[in-house]
Amino acid sequence: MVELFAKYFPNVVAQGWTGDGGWLPAIGETLYMIFWPAIFGGILGLVFGVGLVLTDIDGISPNKTVFGIFDKIVSVFRAIPFIILLAFIAPVTNLIVGTQIGILGALVPLSLGLFPFYARQVQVALKSVDHGIIEAAQSVGATFWDIVFDVYLREARSELIRVTTVTLISLVGLTAMAGAIGAGGLGNMAISYGYGRFANDITFVATFLVLIIVLIIQLVGDFLAKVFNHKVV
Amino acid sequence: MSVEAIRLEKVNVTFTQKEKQVNAVKDVTLSVEKGDIYGIVGYSGAGKSTLVRVINLLQKPTSGRVEVNGEVLFEKNSADEKIISAKKLRARRRKIGMIFQHFNLLNEQTVIQNVAFALKHSNLKEKNITIKAQKLLDLVGLSEKADAYPTQLSGGQQQRVAIARALANDPDILISDEGTSALDPKNTIQILDLLQKINKELGLTVVLITHEMDAVKRIANKIAVMEDGQIIERGDLISIFTNAKEKLTREFLGGGSTKAIATLKEYELGKLADDERLVQLIYMGSKVSEPILVKLYRDFNVEANIIYSNIEVLGKTPIGTLFVILKGTEDNRKKALDYLEKQEVIIKNIEEHEVQKNG
Repeated sequence: MVELFAKYFPNVVAQGWTGDGGWLPAIGETLYMIFWPAIFGGILGLVFGVGLVLTDIDGISPNKTVFGIFDKIVSVFRAIPFIILLAFIAPVTNLIVGTQIGILGALVPLSLGLFPFYARQVQVALKSVDHGIIEAAQSVGATFWDIVFDVYLREARSELIRVTTVTLISLVGLTAMAGAIGAGGLGNMAISYGYGRFANDITFVATFLVLIIVLIIQLVGDFLAKVFNHKVV
Repeated sequence: MSVEAIRLEKVNVTFTQKEKQVNAVKDVTLSVEKGDIYGIVGYSGAGKSTLVRVINLLQKPTSGRVEVNGEVLFEKNSADEKIISAKKLRARRRKIGMIFQHFNLLNEQTVIQNVAFALKHSNLKEKNITIKAQKLLDLVGLSEKADAYPTQLSGGQQQRVAIARALANDPDILISDEGTSALDPKNTIQILDLLQKINKELGLTVVLITHEMDAVKRIANKIAVMEDGQIIERGDLISIFTNAKEKLTREFLGGGSTKAIATLKEYELGKLADDERLVQLIYMGSKVSEPILVKLYRDFNVEANIIYSNIEVLGKTPIGTLFVILKGTEDNRKKALDYLEKQEVIIKNIEEHEVQKNG
């Protein structure tokens, strides 16, 4: 079995598990680039998404100006292609993490690339909460924060998990592109070692590993979305 | 001496949609007395829901005055707007329970959590909140469903949970916005009876909006009929029922005269000879003890030929409607009608042309 693998995937084996260009560091880097941007971009996206829904014209705290600002920021960042965003915000990246290259340099653009996408997804998820439920909460004297946490976020939690899954999967895609600024990871493995050196077996295995990560995210997400959904019997 | 629970004065609600103004409520003045079950009926789009949302200011009026239990919650004349503080408003809202057509329960929280949600700001300790929520579920007959989620319950059960939630803060007023419209007839009756029980036992004032006249006939003591943002007719149920002035009111009340006249027309039952007159007799079951039609013949020599009859129950009062052709000399007919009037029977003369097919 091992011999058979070595025969058909010689370059994969040559890369080794550890060390420079090894498989384990590549997997680790990809997970690192998913984890931190998911946290930072996620929080930012959630704040913007909630803000958009609350200040919208039919929200509980309508405010045209604030809504307009949120909306424009999200739209502009969403419109910039990620690969250009990497270069475009390099000075900002430098300011925040002290470098604009490598894996650390990828965290800022990944977070900023992620948040507008997530913000729109959160907005759609929260809009699915029936206005009648909000009205009922108001009729029993619920406060602003009661409605944000107990009504919007809690009622939409299953949808939020679902859109978070979608967002994380698209984040996996972005991490591959971050390889362009030397951020490493499986994307870099597939491009630099696989495509660049005509070692198709490396590209194949790197792709396969990315798919496994995506699959795990999808399965966990689907499971949680189901557990937290009491809307349908 | 009756006390006003709700007083709306010259309330207007105008929505602006794409530069078009829609007057949902026009200059409505409404007074609901403590202990009333006040039915507001009308077709959808008449402005009923908008009007009741003004009571707890879920809908802020464009102008007018909103008074609940003697306290002015909102007042706006010309540019001067007065509204109580947000904090006070929340406290007042807790004293005005509300239920909705689609129940509007928190789907991701259990039945008891839904009730407890309303008690979040009640100063009760967590343990006491649970005890009170459980008591409320007992009241609506759902104590064994405390840990179920709303979607696991039937529509009628969900509405009971909503009622428990609405009653959580011991309100004085309960508003039902089409509360039974999404329920089947059996559940409708159960919910209506529950509302009536709450009205009787807890002394709550109930405002009931509906497009189903049967709901109002069953429990309301007063009604208002709304059309196009205005109240076109109002009064206590029995007098409106026996003496509706507006065509729309009669249409809603159905039963009685509208149906009868349609029937008479269709089958041409209203043909009269010279010594015959068609009259409609309306009587309350509790007041008529004598066999009146027999007496008409025996004492006044007037024959009464029943061509249509119907009985409706308003609250607990049965109301009968009879269309009869009275045959006899003019003098005798007059004596007969005088006698009926003494028996507190309401008499309406129906002209022959009213019941002709092309009349």
